[in-house]
Amino acid sequence: MMTFDAILPKVAEIFQQHQADVPCVRPLLINRDLNGRVRLIMDEKWEHDDRAMAAINKITRKIEGALGPHAYPAEDALLFESNFEEVLASEAKFSLEGIEGVYVVDRLATEGNWSSISPPNTTTPRIVFFSIKGGVGRSTALAATAWALAESGKRVLVLDLDLESPGLSSSLLSEDRRPTHGIADWLVEDLVDNGCMVFENMVATSSLSHNGEIYVVPAHGAKAGEYIAKLGRVWMPKVSTHGSRESWSQRLRRLIEELEKRWAPDVTLIDSRAGIDEVASACLTGLSASMILLFAIDSDQTWSGYQILFRHWRITGVVREIRERLQLVGAMIPEVGADDYFDGLRERAWDIFSEELYDEVPAGAISTEKGSWSFDEADEGAPHSPWSVRWHRGFAALRNLHGRLTGIDGEEVHTIFGPLIDGIMLLIEAERGES
Amino acid sequence: MNTDFLDAHDRHWQDAGLLFESTRMANADHLYGMAAECGIKRLMVAFGMPIGSDGGPTDESDRIHANHAWVRYEAYRSGHHEGASFALPTTNPFRDWNVSQRYANQCNFDHKRVDSHRLGAEAVRKLIGKARKEGLI
Repeated sequence: MMTFDAILPKVAEIFQQHQADVPCVRPLLINRDLNGRVRLIMDEKWEHDDRAMAAINKITRKIEGALGPHAYPAEDALLFESNFEEVLASEAKFSLEGIEGVYVVDRLATEGNWSSISPPNTTTPRIVFFSIKGGVGRSTALAATAWALAESGKRVLVLDLDLESPGLSSSLLSEDRRPTHGIADWLVEDLVDNGCMVFENMVATSSLSHNGEIYVVPAHGAKAGEYIAKLGRVWMPKVSTHGSRESWSQRLRRLIEELEKRWAPDVTLIDSRAGIDEVASACLTGLSASMILLFAIDSDQTWSGYQILFRHWRITGVVREIRERLQLVGAMIPEVGADDYFDGLRERAWDIFSEELYDEVPAGAISTEKGSWSFDEADEGAPHSPWSVRWHRGFAALRNLHGRLTGIDGEEVHTIFGPLIDGIMLLIEAERGES
Repeated sequence: MNTDFLDAHDRHWQDAGLLFESTRMANADHLYGMAAECGIKRLMVAFGMPIGSDGGPTDESDRIHANHAWVRYEAYRSGHHEGASFALPTTNPFRDWNVSQRYANQCNFDHKRVDSHRLGAEAVRKLIGKARKEGLI
């Protein structure tokens, strides 16, 4: 039975069998198209080279035989590129395991491929709040963190990028302070070069902060307007008059850069959509996050989701570009049996971090050895060791959070969110020290 | 003969390039327009343009050349989910191109004019390449 998951192992097997032919035709791209059908892309210079064509034709015939419905007929299985070097440099690709000079390019119906990782922002630290599962208190934790950082005098920019389920801004802004526009409005206006019409009116300051500032950028304005009609367009790429293309996540990054320039925050906090989703892909991989907080509760759904994500980063060869920015957050740590719950969380987190992200430590070596990026299960400073957020009745409902934060004392916030706030504070100070 | 927009796009593009390199500007200009038209029409087919058994468009409004096809393309693209990532620049580089210019004197075709049409055809060609790789065509 031939199905999608068997494509790459089968193709790798075929290339292994034809190792002697590969040097005649490499570099080579294995192109897996939108329908999951495979073709090979090669340099046009080989098209009239008999030796190369004989070699590649053997391979395409084997691929057709092995992949069945996931292959093109051998006579239609090759695409030639005149500017192959340029294609090779620009495509998001990963190596076919064990075969030098052969890469895989995946074409997806979604723009987010989870493996084009932008480097960390060098000016304002950006912190992404992400969870595999919704309803674990991620947005609440972000609001409380913003409040605490502002209490300590920081200027905090908060972006609600949970575009498909917006709501964070209502916890930080009373109804009468909400701005007239939001992120979705800007993304739509930008398509017609009209972003400046909403730019100044998409940010509001929260009345909750006393010492610093909280600048809140909601998903939509005080009146959502035709939100569904706008949401269906935010994903649009923008094509310039000269034909250059800017993806929606690149447009979003440009917006964040402009907002940071305008409001000069000490830190930007980004509330991502939960799950393996298009917005989440942009937030985690495309917005130059300095730190990605992975909210977790101890459930199979959570661990299986994170494992899918981590494995994807490993297979596509980008794990080293992103892993040092990850930090697990233990969400909703229960009041009763907190220590046991925490230990269980850390143990299961270590299982998947060590399997997918950490370097393998050879027998007899120690995990902290220079050059290896690996941590012991009990290492409290390790990314898999959760920053804990305690479950608290008063914070469980986001709807009440604005009222809750209005009359709250810092001690209570620190009891619940302390490790998270302290961790972020340390990052801000560290980045300030570096700059 | 049946219509084959993809093959016609390829051959017009290649021949336009040969003429351009030999500074045969007038005919290069004509062929860049034809290359763009054929490429755009192949994409329009992918995005739902009705065609007959000979592969040619059945709707009279689709029997157009590059200067009109550039704008018409947008109607098909916008009606198709996968069209989102297949936008052409909104400014039509073929607005000063006309198929009847093949009767004009060659002194009218300077490098600047032809180059803007070359870039227009190249933008179409890039989308054709993308559509091939994605398996749309």
